[in-house]
Amino acid sequence: MAPVLLIVDDEVRVLSALRRALRKEGYEILLASTYQEALKLLAEHPVDGVLSDHKMPGMSGVQLLREAARLRPAAARFLISGWPEEVPAAELRALAIRALIPKPWNDAELKSELRAALLR
Amino acid sequence: MLQPATVRILVVRSPGGAPAEPVSAVAALERLGAEVIVEAVGSVDEALARARTSEVDLVVAEPGAPPAPVARLLEALRADGPPVIVLTASGEEERALDWFRAGAADCVAAASAEEALPVAALDLIRRQRAARQQQLVERRIASLRRYTRNIIQNINSALLVVDGACRVTWANGAAEELLGEPPGGLVGRVASEWFEGESVADSPLLRSLEKGERFRGVEVALRRSDGERVPAAIFCGPLRDDEGNDLGAVAILQDLSETRRLQRQLFHSEKMASIGQLAAGVAHEINNPVGFIDANLFQMEEYVADLRRLWSRVRALVGAVEQGDPAAVRGELAALRVETEALDAEFLLEDLGKAIRESREGSERIRHIVQDLRAFARSDGSERVWADVNQCLDSTANIVWSMMKHAVRLQKSYGELPALRCHPGQLKQVFMNLLMNAYQAVVARVGDTGELGSIEVATALEPAGTPGDSAGQFVVVTVRDDGVGIAASHLDRIFDPFFTTKEVGVGTGLGLSTAFHLVSSQGGRIEAASREGEGSTFRVVLPVTQPARGGA
Repeated sequence: MAPVLLIVDDEVRVLSALRRALRKEGYEILLASTYQEALKLLAEHPVDGVLSDHKMPGMSGVQLLREAARLRPAAARFLISGWPEEVPAAELRALAIRALIPKPWNDAELKSELRAALLR
Repeated sequence: MLQPATVRILVVRSPGGAPAEPVSAVAALERLGAEVIVEAVGSVDEALARARTSEVDLVVAEPGAPPAPVARLLEALRADGPPVIVLTASGEEERALDWFRAGAADCVAAASAEEALPVAALDLIRRQRAARQQQLVERRIASLRRYTRNIIQNINSALLVVDGACRVTWANGAAEELLGEPPGGLVGRVASEWFEGESVADSPLLRSLEKGERFRGVEVALRRSDGERVPAAIFCGPLRDDEGNDLGAVAILQDLSETRRLQRQLFHSEKMASIGQLAAGVAHEINNPVGFIDANLFQMEEYVADLRRLWSRVRALVGAVEQGDPAAVRGELAALRVETEALDAEFLLEDLGKAIRESREGSERIRHIVQDLRAFARSDGSERVWADVNQCLDSTANIVWSMMKHAVRLQKSYGELPALRCHPGQLKQVFMNLLMNAYQAVVARVGDTGELGSIEVATALEPAGTPGDSAGQFVVVTVRDDGVGIAASHLDRIFDPFFTTKEVGVGTGLGLSTAFHLVSSQGGRIEAASREGEGSTFRVVLPVTQPARGGA
């Protein structure tokens, strides 16, 4: 079965571009543009990985990944942010976030980070 | 009886010693009282010397004195000396006329001197005193007049006095300098010719003249005869005499050129500071489209490589068809089908179009942001222009929205507003400042909790009749937030320059004072209400300007 990857970003065009970039990577991709949608998808699907934006209305990416860790402890957690330096390092460690990917992202780097965690 | 002080009378005895007749002028004069000091001198020369060195109120020449020296005495004292009474010896009374001609103040017959001399002396002394007093008063009036004239001439403010026809009756040097006229060049000119504005009838000076209104520091634009424009503050009011009769109006004008220049600099640096704050938010807003455009381009490159592979299959198939080799055609066709399937060509073509559309939308967004930012950074000209306040507010809200959207829910409700004659760039700066403050107040309350604060922006046309306002309608722009609020003790200081509660480097302390100035220079005001912990409401109240008459 293809690994299930949930991508969360309040910017739908970014979601679309990420899906495009990962099309041939062999994941089953779920998209959410609000934290509510993301929580719903997390509850309903056996998610293997979560890739979330950080600065989002209502709930930050770190908070969302904390929820994800509670709902799907086994899922690998990734953060993507235009301001990676603003994300507190302590949170990254506490939540065992696999990678903090800067925006704009490098396709190859993004793919290899995801592969390392999801395609073994 | 001779107030005040003592009176000094000099009696010139006849040189021969004993008087020709047994009169005692001294004794007669001493009857005037203790405050009269009578001194006798033996000669005219001595008398002149005494009159020159000490205060002498009256000189009496006794009849025994020879006529020539008496004439010399009269001549010497005639111009500015004390008055002289000549006692005429009996038989010489007819010479009285000569003595008067020679400058005597009075002539008294020695025979009746005992009675008449004190009376004549008293009369002369009184007159002398009155004349001296008069002189003193005149001198003081003249000096006072010079003093006030010097004050008025030397004060660094232009002073104009006009008559009922607005004609200059008085102007000081600063007025001449301010209006670019030579000394004396203002008197007689019609003052309204230097005031420019929407309507001359609205000029403060004319309103003082016609309606008796008073103005304190209203800003006016002056146009000098050489065409140069000077911003000035006018303080004026009607000029009335003690009975309340209208004499015209008096105005003080203060040159504001330098003040304006410094203010412009200050406002500009404040604006640059807020643009600096904005830059972070805008960068965030630009970062997203740059991110997905970049990723899309990368992907499209792969799509193009895929399509090129497909195209080489198509060409191979065309080659086989042209050669008329059925087996080769079948082979190439099969290969093309496999390739098409493998590449998911249908999806690829559709997604390529989608990627291009989405990327174009992204670049369009970037273009808009840059445009808004440029419009914001642009300075206003000195002229006011007709502008749509809703549009000013909306474009400003759009710029700041990008940086606040992760923390704020923004509600807009725009009323229908008439165009306003204003400096739109300055209004945008004011709105920007209020929105940034609102945003910072919300962030200070919600912090990183992910909770959304709320900011409401609203515009409305409010009717006249608000207490304290005389006439006309108002455009009111309200910015309300549910942030931390402002402590009551701070509320009356928030418009003071350099007052800030923000950390060093976050606020200049000039934002609200600048906003306040920008609004009040357009005839409006800013009102603030706040409750700590509940939020703040700022209202920008702008008077509606009537379109100029005559369809301009």
